[in-house]
Amino acid sequence: MPGSASTLSALRSLLAARFPEKNRRPAGCVPTGVAAVDEALGGGLPVGRLTEVVSAVASSGGQTLLTRLIEETRVARRRIALVDGADGFAPESVSADALRHLVWVRGQDLVQALASADVLVRDGNFAVVVVDLRGCDERALRKTPSATWHRLHRATEAGATAVLVQSTGALVPAVPCRLILGRAHALASRRVERGELAAQLAVEVARGHAGLLADGVEAQAG
Amino acid sequence: MNYAALVVPDFSLHAVRRSDASLAGRPLGIVAGEGRTAVVRAVSPEATGVEPGLAVTLAMARCPALVLRPRDPTAETEAGCMVIAAALTLSPRVEHTGAGWCTVDLQGADEARTLVTLRLRLGELAAAGIPVRAGIAGTPLLAALAARSTETVCVVRAAAEFLRPLPLAWAEPTAAHAEILAGWGVRTMGDLTALPKGEVGQRLGPAGAALWERAAGETTRPLKLVEPKKSFAAAWAYDPPVESLEPLLFLLRRYAERVALELRAAGFVAEKLALTLLLEDETDHRREFRLPEPGADVDGWQRILHAHLETLKTAARVVGVRLVATPARPPEKQDGLFETGLRDPAVFWESLARVGALVGDDRVGTPVVAATHRADAFVLTKPAEAVPEPEPAPVHAARGLVLRRFRPAWPVHVHCDGARPVEIVGGQLGGDVCAASGPWRSEGEWWTAAAWAVELWQVELAAGGLYQLARTADGWCVEGVFD
Repeated sequence: MPGSASTLSALRSLLAARFPEKNRRPAGCVPTGVAAVDEALGGGLPVGRLTEVVSAVASSGGQTLLTRLIEETRVARRRIALVDGADGFAPESVSADALRHLVWVRGQDLVQALASADVLVRDGNFAVVVVDLRGCDERALRKTPSATWHRLHRATEAGATAVLVQSTGALVPAVPCRLILGRAHALASRRVERGELAAQLAVEVARGHAGLLADGVEAQAG
Repeated sequence: MNYAALVVPDFSLHAVRRSDASLAGRPLGIVAGEGRTAVVRAVSPEATGVEPGLAVTLAMARCPALVLRPRDPTAETEAGCMVIAAALTLSPRVEHTGAGWCTVDLQGADEARTLVTLRLRLGELAAAGIPVRAGIAGTPLLAALAARSTETVCVVRAAAEFLRPLPLAWAEPTAAHAEILAGWGVRTMGDLTALPKGEVGQRLGPAGAALWERAAGETTRPLKLVEPKKSFAAAWAYDPPVESLEPLLFLLRRYAERVALELRAAGFVAEKLALTLLLEDETDHRREFRLPEPGADVDGWQRILHAHLETLKTAARVVGVRLVATPARPPEKQDGLFETGLRDPAVFWESLARVGALVGDDRVGTPVVAATHRADAFVLTKPAEAVPEPEPAPVHAARGLVLRRFRPAWPVHVHCDGARPVEIVGGQLGGDVCAASGPWRSEGEWWTAAAWAVELWQVELAAGGLYQLARTADGWCVEGVFD
């Protein structure tokens, strides 16, 4: 049916014209320092996009990923903001020098965390904004209006910041890429060097794929 | 260029309009008198067909949508303070000459710089709902006449040429003198000064001679100077009380504009804002905002206050507000040549202030671990302007997963086999322990009242998950999860 094909094509053109940011490729990426995650994302967290990492089970490496990201951005001398919804970050787990570029927001509830993230994502001075919602009230998380996430999407797409949302279950609707950390570590892992542990993290791509992100994406230099 | 006059035409009208958001864009009239004698004293341009002096009934007939309000002394005082604060940014020698009228002594001031500052201030005042006209001349009276003759700024360099075409009424003759002079055919100031001063004095007396001097621009006088503000605060009441954000923010902005202008006039910026909301149930809500980057930018203040107020729920309606700014000298700094600074420092500090308004000023910043072995000891500091070069990596690499803390720690009961935990029982976490590592004991500050001692265990639950248990004098708790 040539008529419907041309209608479909016109509709696609209309959508592309109306929402050009949806078709725009990321302007770069920020390496996380965790090989499996960087590989899955095609080089690192895409700039101007939301990425969700779900820690599906306890001790699956979500906090290790966060600290590797903090250390990696420190080496590159780029600023990072951590919106800590449940106030779980332990500064002593990272070397003192690796904290000097970090802005830590110690949230007390989900509303504060999301409002703070909205401000920081729009700031433009941060290479990465991490919104850690692990430990937040599950019921409140499920009740978060989709408009809130949509607003965060739009703010991210309009800027040059990579946004990482950490959660314990798939939360963010229409997120371009969702990764799942699904393997719990055993107590014996406490003897393994952290870099090696990070390299062994089991990452599953639940949404989006490396090819989509890899095209035309180059890691941004510091 | 010795004096400047800042004059607000229809001052009472603009003062009322800027104090009430609902009046924006509507035809407004200021009414004086009561009953049948009530007349319209001033009208906004939207009130077509209505002129000052018209009886209220006639004005309503000509413009049915006309909103009539009496003068508001509180609003006029506030608007007057704005004009004085703006005048004080030009010179410290300012006279409050009348309602919406300031005279500034500019002797010794640089003309070009003063004109630039003046135009900036006029723009700010116009944005704040106070359209000001300015005149600059050799005497206070001439400056006032210059302000009256223009829509923006008028600089009088040749007094005689400027005064000659002005109507004689502007020199404020008495009614009797006005009648006599009209009979002589004298209509303008130039007509009067064309007559010999002595002859005018002989016929009209000393008041006539004074009138001639005013018409010639020869009158001068010393200014009665106002005292610059030493405290920077604003307080206002709501009648009726408010229960939504918009009316609260509207007046908050108006008063913040004045406080910011007063700060700038005194050469200060704000390092702290204290907001107090007085509630209908006679309680209050107080909150202090420490500005990461001291400033006197009202837009920035507004965003910080907005961020806090939009998440605030009070037990009762708001009947009054008090805003106090703590003054500080503006920071002076010079960036290093090779530092990787902030892309937009103003936005950065403002974002931090807004986040501080949301979560608390003491809960945002860069963490610095305290020099102690006590667990979870750190302070949050102001983030650095520039990210320094990283130091070499530690010789001994960290091992194991990273701890994510539970704050506060979860209290649990722990069953032990000897000293080793074998089962955890608690509301938030429980289960059999399949592997445990420990204990690691530490203590400190035993020489002070804040002595502490703790025994730590790392445990793996049979259901999965690595946790850190701590045993203190108060019992067991789960400090966090290794993740």
